[in-house]
Amino acid sequence: MIKLVKITGQSLYPVYQEGDFVVVSKIPFLFGSIRPGDVIVFKHPVYGLMIKRVERCVPQTGDVYVVGTHGHSIDSRRFGAIHRDDIVGKVVWHLKKR
Amino acid sequence: MIYELIEKLDRRFPFERAKAHCDIPCGIYDPHHAQLAALTVIRMIDLMNELVKEHGQQDMEFHNSMARYIAVKEQHAELCKHEVRIIWGDYIKPEHVQKYPELHELTNKIMKLGSKCRQTTSRETAVELLQAVNRFAEIFWETKGIATKRAKAPYKPEEEVVYPVLS
Repeated sequence: MIKLVKITGQSLYPVYQEGDFVVVSKIPFLFGSIRPGDVIVFKHPVYGLMIKRVERCVPQTGDVYVVGTHGHSIDSRRFGAIHRDDIVGKVVWHLKKR
Repeated sequence: MIYELIEKLDRRFPFERAKAHCDIPCGIYDPHHAQLAALTVIRMIDLMNELVKEHGQQDMEFHNSMARYIAVKEQHAELCKHEVRIIWGDYIKPEHVQKYPELHELTNKIMKLGSKCRQTTSRETAVELLQAVNRFAEIFWETKGIATKRAKAPYKPEEEVVYPVLS
């Protein structure tokens, strides 16, 4: 239910940076659905475990579109929507490198 | 304090990585290429000086070697500028400049010195280029929280180079 992961890459710069740690959990989803603006960690079949910001959700299909803040971010603009089942959790705590 | 604690834990028992993935070459920056290029410029000038001293007559062999040294000097002075420009343009952020106000001026100095190294055969200018790139490297590694040390390169021209101290 709770996972600590380290961030690699800069696609969520400047809020989330390489080397930061985040705690992610599915617990928030027990009390409410995923919302645009949430930062989530999810599994992608090609890129592996990823962290991105939710841009929009499609409740009917369970699809979630994610984006990064960096212009060169690889996200739903490249690989399309991710499915709700692939979401590992929402960021509930962020520990910055400095 | 909490970060350092978790970082230590991570080194011992690595946590899973979540990629905030960008297009290549996102996140891959290293001033080492610029330092090597600056060293090469010095080395080429040394070789040019040696050639003039040791080669009695300016025959075809002389011109061939000299042309090759000049070509490599040109190429590496430009490469040095290119590598620094990439880090400055793609990696350096406003907060880095805020912390190191010399950054813009230093980058501009490297550009100017790189050009001067192409135009002249001044060893002093080439050493000055290396020193400026060393300072740039020092700042770069500091922004990543990585300590640096200065040591003589273990090959000619054996000038002092800034190296990151990696665990």
